[in-house]
Amino acid sequence: MAPAQMRLMVFMRYAALIAIAVTLLAPIYWLLMSSFRPAGDIFRFAGQFSIDTLVPTTLTLENYRAIWDGPFPRAVFNSLFVSLVTVALGLLVNSLAGFAFAVFEFPFKRTLFVAVLLSFMMPFESIVIPLYVLMGWLGWVNTYAALIMPDVASGLIVFLFRQFFAAVPKEIYEAARIDGASWWQIYRRMTMPLSGPTIATASLMMFIHQWDAFFWPLVAASTQDLIVVQVAIARNMTLEQSNWGSLFASASSAVLVALVPFLALQRYYIRVVTLNAER
Amino acid sequence: MKTRWWVPFAFLSPMLIGLALFRFAPIFIAVIGSFFGQTIRGETIFKGLANYVDLFEDQSFWASIRTTLVFNLIINPFQVVCAMCLALLARRPTRFVDVFRASFLMPMTTSIALTSVLWGILLDPSMGPVNGFLRWAGVPAQGFFRSGEQAIATLILVCTWKGAGYWMVFLLAGLLAIPKELDEAASIDGASPWQRFRYVTLPMMRRPLAFVLVADTAINFLLFAPVYVITHGGPNGATHLLMFEAYQSAFAFLNHGRSLAISTIILAIVLVIAAFELRLFRHKEGEP
Repeated sequence: MAPAQMRLMVFMRYAALIAIAVTLLAPIYWLLMSSFRPAGDIFRFAGQFSIDTLVPTTLTLENYRAIWDGPFPRAVFNSLFVSLVTVALGLLVNSLAGFAFAVFEFPFKRTLFVAVLLSFMMPFESIVIPLYVLMGWLGWVNTYAALIMPDVASGLIVFLFRQFFAAVPKEIYEAARIDGASWWQIYRRMTMPLSGPTIATASLMMFIHQWDAFFWPLVAASTQDLIVVQVAIARNMTLEQSNWGSLFASASSAVLVALVPFLALQRYYIRVVTLNAER
Repeated sequence: MKTRWWVPFAFLSPMLIGLALFRFAPIFIAVIGSFFGQTIRGETIFKGLANYVDLFEDQSFWASIRTTLVFNLIINPFQVVCAMCLALLARRPTRFVDVFRASFLMPMTTSIALTSVLWGILLDPSMGPVNGFLRWAGVPAQGFFRSGEQAIATLILVCTWKGAGYWMVFLLAGLLAIPKELDEAASIDGASPWQRFRYVTLPMMRRPLAFVLVADTAINFLLFAPVYVITHGGPNGATHLLMFEAYQSAFAFLNHGRSLAISTIILAIVLVIAAFELRLFRHKEGEP
């Protein structure tokens, strides 16, 4: 290719990359930026596009102070509690299972592994209504258990741990067995301490999964006491409220809670996701 | 030291109990429950296939099936094409490519509920900044979610905003796995960029593309949050997707038999999609 043509190609490629990135990021920018505006300013410049639409004239924290006094802190507590308990239980339950699939030979291993894969390829939404019926039988409707327990065992996280554990040479385990270590000791003292990055990624995935959950909490537990962040925000939106300042501040907080750890662990995350696609 | 037979199952059992109870038992509850119904006095009675017969005679059920099919026939190929374009643009390790890749992924971190709230506001015909921008650019204001003709297209664009970057990651991994020599050889033989894409890249990407298409379908088939938050199925049923129909049957009309019959139909479709996904996945993954 001629150099001029080459330069044109490079220019066009960057132009496309920048245009797409700006389009994708603009909505998030507008949300975050607006949350720092006085409530009355949020829509003042929206209808008439100008520089004021994009750059705030006055910055304030009043919207954030306002949500602090309302029901929103309760929703934040509920979401954090549900997410953190799920992560704690999920790490144990799923890493144990991943260990079993990576290390042992046992009857029905293939069948059980297919069931694990199937469980995360089947979208959760498809079982929401019968699961709600089950919660009724268990007496768990409108309890924390309904929000937490169904998401503890996760096929995807089992798979993640299995992939990592399977890469450890089997001879190490054999040596430990000859020295008289039990399998529990091997899991507890050798395997888990070596799995830092996998544990971090799995924790992040489970945390964000629960933090972002909407459909299930809406159905299973959405009383004032148990309401989670996503449902609280969506409900404010559907009520056609005029309290825009609070809506923007609460939505921005919820976005940032998922965004910040994602950016910190982005490289890991991409590696893990593509590992699923590639191996 | 010999491992006793029950040891693997001791490690597996907490997870197996969890999946059995909260993933697989609901499938049976849906199927069995779909044969039952409730009388006006609240007694549970066996109804045989009556829930299904009612469903198949119901125009609003067929309308939501039609809407769901049309939505999926458009959105899934569209998202795959968008994700592929992003992956091709972000493929070469040029300057700032990490920044671009990360910014393509950012919408993915916005939950589906927040995506719905955010775009519901952005695209509000009277207050939203998007119409403000269009007017500034000399384009007349649009109805978006409030317009019967535009609602589905708007929904597709909003979901693509959130999803394209996520699927790009899978395709990017596929692209980066293609040996560089292939492309270089074609280049030396005088192939144009289009020919290299058409006869080198595309055939190598068949499997990642198929995987993304199927996995994306599994997710979009049961789209719920934007319909619940923004449109409530409207205007005039334009966005009345199947999952919203099932939700309304269960929680607005309290007709459990009907909602479980819809759940059973949804599960049957989803299991077929998941079986395809599993085959594509295991082919790459190898046997456990």
